[in-house]
Amino acid sequence: MKAMSEHSNAPNPQEDARYEVFVKKFAHHEGDLRRFVRSLLPNWTDADEVVQQTAIVMWRKFDQYDPDTNFMKWGCVIARFEALAYRRKMARDRLVFREDVLELMADEGVEEMDQRDAEHAALESCLKDVPETQRQFLTLAHTQGVNVKELAEQAGSTAAAFYMRLNRLRRQLMKCVESKLQQPDPA
Amino acid sequence: MNKRFHDLSAEEQDWIDAYLNGTIEPAAFDALQDRLLVSEDLRAVMRRYLSLDHHLQMECAADGLALNPWQSVDEGARVEAPKPQRWRFKSSMQMAAAAALAFLLGLAFMHLQEVPVNDHAALATINGEEPSAEGFAVVRRLFDAAWPAEAKLHREGDTLGSETFSLASGTAEIQFYSGATMTVQGPAEIALKSAWEAACSEGIVRMQVPPAARGFKLQAPTTEIVDLGTEFGLEVRDGKAHVEVFKGEIALHHQQEDERLVKEGGAWGLPSAGAAEPVEAGRVVFPDLGRLGSQALAQNKADFERWQSHCDALARDPRLISYYTFDRKASGALIPNLTLPRNPERDGAVVLAEPVDGRWPGLKSALEFRRPGSRVRVNVPGEFPAFTFMCWVRIDSLDRWYNALFMADSYETGEPHWQIRNDGKMILSVMVDDARPDPKSPDGATMRFQHLYYSPPIWDQSMSGQWMHLASVFDPANREVSHYVNGERIAREKITKAYFIDRLRIGNAEIGNWGQPFREDPSFAIRNLNGRMDELAIFKVALGDEEIHRLYQESRSSAR
Repeated sequence: MKAMSEHSNAPNPQEDARYEVFVKKFAHHEGDLRRFVRSLLPNWTDADEVVQQTAIVMWRKFDQYDPDTNFMKWGCVIARFEALAYRRKMARDRLVFREDVLELMADEGVEEMDQRDAEHAALESCLKDVPETQRQFLTLAHTQGVNVKELAEQAGSTAAAFYMRLNRLRRQLMKCVESKLQQPDPA
Repeated sequence: MNKRFHDLSAEEQDWIDAYLNGTIEPAAFDALQDRLLVSEDLRAVMRRYLSLDHHLQMECAADGLALNPWQSVDEGARVEAPKPQRWRFKSSMQMAAAAALAFLLGLAFMHLQEVPVNDHAALATINGEEPSAEGFAVVRRLFDAAWPAEAKLHREGDTLGSETFSLASGTAEIQFYSGATMTVQGPAEIALKSAWEAACSEGIVRMQVPPAARGFKLQAPTTEIVDLGTEFGLEVRDGKAHVEVFKGEIALHHQQEDERLVKEGGAWGLPSAGAAEPVEAGRVVFPDLGRLGSQALAQNKADFERWQSHCDALARDPRLISYYTFDRKASGALIPNLTLPRNPERDGAVVLAEPVDGRWPGLKSALEFRRPGSRVRVNVPGEFPAFTFMCWVRIDSLDRWYNALFMADSYETGEPHWQIRNDGKMILSVMVDDARPDPKSPDGATMRFQHLYYSPPIWDQSMSGQWMHLASVFDPANREVSHYVNGERIAREKITKAYFIDRLRIGNAEIGNWGQPFREDPSFAIRNLNGRMDELAIFKVALGDEEIHRLYQESRSSAR
């Protein structure tokens, strides 16, 4: 993130204030942006790469941003381009969406931010009913840098068993989230 | 929401999971993308699922690894720190931390092979699917079973997983999913390991292993016994074991000795130190299922007779509104209301519900509400100051969003709904005002004003097929609503002023379904209970904790 360092190191109070505004805004939306990018790319490493690159571009172009418009959507438009650029850079054998699929996913995804927030709230409520052992498992499964295969072998199990369990839990949580979002009052 | 994840084809679901796990095959990935391109629904579901994974990451990632991206990118940044975010590992220190964590979690992972079964506190309630899939054995029958003070109490029908099964006295029959049957006589301690393996450190055990379960392994303290399709007994006391073959053949591995085949009639002493030695057969009396079975039949009959006298006494209770025991022997499509003096006006009309075995098979019947149209229709005129609903019910599954126990048809002011949500929570509600002016509506429309009183989850799939006693009390005088399972109160909530109502009614109502749903959407409207009921009592008073416990005790069987 060279660009940012250059800016922040410049002895310019006006620039500092602008930087601060940007960082606050970005920090506020970073989670949503990350979620958006994650829905376009196959894994966290790729998504992180693109979010980082997006942050740089957003800061570079921050003077073109119209404060009356939605910062998040503006960020998503940039992230969409960055994701496409990243995709082109990557070797063909990586399992990344084709360009047409990625574009569709991005364009539709931008419009679903509120839906995502409602799902997040539903998930929080669903997770309350998850027993501790399952919770530990989910933590394990979502800890970055964990090598599932090695871990499973250490535990005398297999990666396939690990993923089966993860899939089942994730599907149950999805079912719970979807039913919460759809469930009317029982009266 | 148009489509939900489980509306997708199995193939599509698998593809999406594999994509998320990074294990998708290139050909499947191509197929997934082809389908994504043409299906807006699939894209929407996929985004929802990917976001769920993202949120899980946020909610569940280990907190110790929360790193600040700004600090990790630009050490000299002077800006205020934004909220913590997960970030990629940038330094070897962080990698080391992750490795340490992975190791710790590795231990947790091994632990995950052990599954809590039927622990009410830890009921897995994500739509009630989790625990059932995990066990590998079931408690089939219990005969005078008593449990050590600190040990888990089991009931017939309980699923067993990897756990220690302790019995203080009496006899338990455990059926493994491999087909093997173990009869345990207490005091005993058995470590259940899988459908194919168990270890006995104390107690008397009889194993019956059909051909399909050949190879079942039972460990004694210093010996491994492999069953070669047979029936044998094992006694373990103070580290010493004694094994006897009744039928077929077993293989013994005692300490470091060579494998030894023992045939029908053979008996061996297996000392904690020293060699195995042949001993005289018939020295130990092993539990006899046939004898226990006939004892159980006698017990069953005694229990049923005890229940009958409870039933006769209860029918005279003047506080009852209606009392049904679902015996259809007498009168075809009618379920008599048993309250005395007899009031045939309150008899129930059976629609589609099937007569099936009740809690005492062969002695008492129950009604099953498995078919979507099944129900018992009743009419209960009058006005009441309180409600107590109490029933014996066997839930096979919670298929509907809302699964009816007792539901007033039109759910007008003062009328009750008693039901179970698909996550296992019991709900009692009474309509407070069915036509309250809606403050938000400009044209004076009305709304239904009510409050739902929930219990914690009382049921999950592992309890499928077990009889349970449920009660819920609506008590305006004390301004509270309480829920009970098997005689114990599990929830109590205040009735606040806004939701106070003490003129209660029933009118036309249904047992096991809902007669007049407001909406036609079947997932909302169909509320038949997939299960059976063999007793339902409705009181016009609020019964207290002690009385509900007493009524549970008087109406239960010894096994339940």
